Amino acid sequence: MKKTRCLILLLGSLGAWSAAKAQDVVLVANKSVQISEITDSDVRAIFTGKKTRFADGSHAVPVTLKGGATHEVFLKNHLGEGPEEFRAQWRKLVFTGQGAMPMSFASESALIEYVAATPGAVGYASRISSQDGVKSLASVK
Amino acid sequence: MSRRVCLFVLVCSCAGSLHAQDIAGIAVHGFVSQGFLFSSNNNYLSMKSSDGSPQWTDAVVDISDPIAEKLLVGIQLRMYQLGQFGGSNVQVDWASGDYRVNDHFGIRAGKVKTVWGLFNDSQDVDPAFLWILLPQGSYSIDHKSFYLAHIGGDVYGEIPLGKRAGTLHYDGYAGQATVDLNDGYIKQFADIGLLFTNSLGGKTYGGDLRWETPLSGLTIGSSADVQAVDGTAPTGSIHVPPTLTPSMYAEFSRGKIYLAGEYDRIPISATVIGSSVFPFIEDGRSWFAMGSYRLSKKVQVGSYYSHYVNKAADTTQPANYSKDWVVSGRYDFNAYFYCKVEGHFLHGTALGYYTSTNPNGLAPTSKMLAAKIGFSF
Repeated sequence: MKKTRCLILLLGSLGAWSAAKAQDVVLVANKSVQISEITDSDVRAIFTGKKTRFADGSHAVPVTLKGGATHEVFLKNHLGEGPEEFRAQWRKLVFTGQGAMPMSFASESALIEYVAATPGAVGYASRISSQDGVKSLASVK
Repeated sequence: MSRRVCLFVLVCSCAGSLHAQDIAGIAVHGFVSQGFLFSSNNNYLSMKSSDGSPQWTDAVVDISDPIAEKLLVGIQLRMYQLGQFGGSNVQVDWASGDYRVNDHFGIRAGKVKTVWGLFNDSQDVDPAFLWILLPQGSYSIDHKSFYLAHIGGDVYGEIPLGKRAGTLHYDGYAGQATVDLNDGYIKQFADIGLLFTNSLGGKTYGGDLRWETPLSGLTIGSSADVQAVDGTAPTGSIHVPPTLTPSMYAEFSRGKIYLAGEYDRIPISATVIGSSVFPFIEDGRSWFAMGSYRLSKKVQVGSYYSHYVNKAADTTQPANYSKDWVVSGRYDFNAYFYCKVEGHFLHGTALGYYTSTNPNGLAPTSKMLAAKIGFSF
């Protein structure tokens, strides 16, 4: 009986781990972006309008999804906030003349297409394949 | 009234198609909100709020264009009615060119929102807040047109302090600020017989320094504003020498939780010349503490306490203090539509009341219900 409970707990933990992994998002960037990794604080600063440049000084153009699970996971994992707080921050910047709202897309394929075509663009997706025309950025602490 | 309702209905009926518009890089955003006030005693903010008043409408359109990698230009227009303030005139909230050389240094020039305290520059962005009324001791809505923006320029940027020390954000500005003829100050002067027909104002300069600490979500900062005011009316004049207004604040935001606090000092030493010459001296001290929590994607609740006292006067008299306990709730129907409701428990009458709309005097305490519905794209 005890062994069965342990097995159930172990399977449950594995299930939760793989679900979290499946929900993780990949940072994607235009191939013109020279860096291959980006710090969490830079991701936060670029996607909240506080920074407009990557660590190497090149121009960053953040783009987002309009909504959905990938958008929410990205905001939670990388910005530590929900879509409502994210929207409120950008509204403050836009309506005070301190920033321009990032382009947002209804689908990941549209976002990736834009990132592939726009120098400096950086976004996120639940998965990418090699033919997508974008590069992935490793997120580091 | 009917025009306001028509405008609101028109914008709301277009909800399906009115997403933020982006045509070849030009972005168009905006919002419309309609408020309602009901107070148990006294008429607040020049409305007949003791009868219940819907005389509170805001409509804003914002156009901006990042015309080059480092250059953003834009303009924001507003039409608002708040009791007897505002009116049918379209006002320019801000109109500026913003050249950001890099993340460490940028220049913004034109009519620019004034960065001071936690919320001065964003106090009129209703869709961004849970609160219907921000703490009035620090951000009095009937005087906002004077404090919101200046014509001049800002320099701004960030200074990274290293991985373990966070980031400093700075903003310094200089220019001219003007009291709008439909603002609360003009009405207060009119109540004492000074009828200004030309707007008054003066030079302003100041700065803001905020430290984004290594503790994620915690920001600490301080601002200082120096402002002079001169104005001449057919029946008199007013002179306020350059006056320093400091502010200190902290905010913490993480996940569903938001906490903030601020302390401001507003000393005024003015000379008012009307039927006689008399000095007007005020030493306003205000502070607030607020907190909110997001219960779900659609629901956010919060509370704050706002405290204002004029230390230059008898602080036991209700006319010289204002203490306000507030509870708020916000419901987002979707990413565009929202509604808010807020209860105020007001003690003291130093802020938000006008003699002409309270001819029979003021009760020292009042309860107030505020409600708002809004749409933003």
